[in-house]
Amino acid sequence: MTMRRFMWIFVAIALGALALAAAGRFLLAWPDGVVGMWTGIGAGYLLGAGLFLLMPRWWRQHCDDMYAQPAGRRYIRALWPALVLYSLTLFASIWSIRQGIESLPLRGLVAVLPVLPIAWMMHAALRYLREIDELQRRIETEAIGIASLLVALVYFAGGMLEKAEVIGMDAGIAMIWVFPLLCGIYGIAKMILTRRYQ
Amino acid sequence: MNNRMRELREAQGWSQGELAERLEVSRQTVNALETGKYDPSLPLAFRIARLFGEPIESLFIPED
Repeated sequence: MTMRRFMWIFVAIALGALALAAAGRFLLAWPDGVVGMWTGIGAGYLLGAGLFLLMPRWWRQHCDDMYAQPAGRRYIRALWPALVLYSLTLFASIWSIRQGIESLPLRGLVAVLPVLPIAWMMHAALRYLREIDELQRRIETEAIGIASLLVALVYFAGGMLEKAEVIGMDAGIAMIWVFPLLCGIYGIAKMILTRRYQ
Repeated sequence: MNNRMRELREAQGWSQGELAERLEVSRQTVNALETGKYDPSLPLAFRIARLFGEPIESLFIPED
């Protein structure tokens, strides 16, 4: 699975979502909220495809090499169903909660449904970490370490600012953004560290 | 640490990818080893030495 193929998959999903939004708007008289959701999904995947184009060539080549190896292939094979399941559970969870769920335990269960595929992805990532060679493992763990320290620092600073009433922050949103921030900073750190060894 | 990996690999007519496959590491690791940007662990150094049929000391030369 090459980066170029990933990009085209993203474009296909984006076009599918935008086509659904258009059909919903002009043919099926869907509510604005539903049309907006599919438009947002399409725009998001187009943005993702655009990010692939911004990747430097050496990084794309490096990713292609990594994912061509047995450990990389196993990781991608485990990742795809987890990502699909995450999208479906996220959609189902948000939609169900918006419809209203009276029972608190049931609402809690439905709210954390998307966590299960994320746990599956983390298991796949841990297995990948154990299967790669020593230099790759050094790069991965150093990148994860840098991301953890930076995110901890940012959240500590954010917490202090929040307590001093300099900023106001929704606690739920703040907690949800921990994982995406970790992933983003890990990705940047991994690029820099990989370049160091080339 | 300096090493003679590139010289020995080229003498065998192997590409970096082929050497990586024989050592069960990534091509990135082979490149980093050859350019001296990464020093291998002891087990990997022994595997490299065994593959080329040379003692470790003739393969890896510490910078003094």
